[in-house]
Amino acid sequence: MFNEVLFLLSGLLTVFGALAVVFTKNLMHACVYLLASLFGVAGLYLTLGADFLAAAQIVVYAGGVVVLMLFAVMLTGGTVKDAGRYAMLKVPSMGNAKTFSIAALGVLVALSMTTKIILGIGRSYDASKELPAFTSTVESIGTLLVTDHVLAFEISSVLLLGALVGAVVISRPRKS
Amino acid sequence: MISLTSYLFISLLLFLCGLTVMIARKNIIAMLLGTELILNSAALNFAAYTRFVNNNLDGHIVSLFIIIIAAAEAAVGLAIVIRFFQIKESIHIDDATQLQS
Repeated sequence: MFNEVLFLLSGLLTVFGALAVVFTKNLMHACVYLLASLFGVAGLYLTLGADFLAAAQIVVYAGGVVVLMLFAVMLTGGTVKDAGRYAMLKVPSMGNAKTFSIAALGVLVALSMTTKIILGIGRSYDASKELPAFTSTVESIGTLLVTDHVLAFEISSVLLLGALVGAVVISRPRKS
Repeated sequence: MISLTSYLFISLLLFLCGLTVMIARKNIIAMLLGTELILNSAALNFAAYTRFVNNNLDGHIVSLFIIIIAAAEAAVGLAIVIRFFQIKESIHIDDATQLQS
């Protein structure tokens, strides 16, 4: 029962957050709606029994990525160059009717291709099978990370170091 | 009744929203938001298949790596956006027409 309620709430939060990211005009609001959507995904992870993933999702996205996005929005926002005819700030974040119609076309194509596949998956797999009970996954994920997937683990540490140093080097203002 | 199909549909909706943001928006930061949505939908698919189809934890590991890569991608992408803004005074995607300024 609790699982169904949590699924419903997080699914609604996820879907409406993502739709608000698409249709809001303010980029700052879009970042906050993205945060809501990511919290919804964390709730969906909880309903799937993935406790470690839910925690990692909240820590990485709420604590890292969205704050970084908000900083980038504030560092690059609102230049005088974007002022329009009526001295209002033009909204640089939205596209025009052409890009939105192209996007709608792409969405329709993707929807028609994937819906059939997903319904086929729903029919093909055995839904009556008893699902296993929820257990803590932290210990087994830790064991798997340093045994089976140790190469990917080490490579991801090098990737994170490279991304950190690269971000600092790229965004540093240069003397010219 | 919660089944695999419901998770797949939520993930599909997330993917389509991300696709729409990436195509329709003209702001580079907004396009990065769309990338985050798409990566999240992929990670959600991995976790859902782990729960409903095969019950080993490899799907969780892949989702974890997707989160790591999304964080690295956001850091480098936003650094590029800020550098681009320092040079061009704009974050409109149509202004990004040169590799070297």
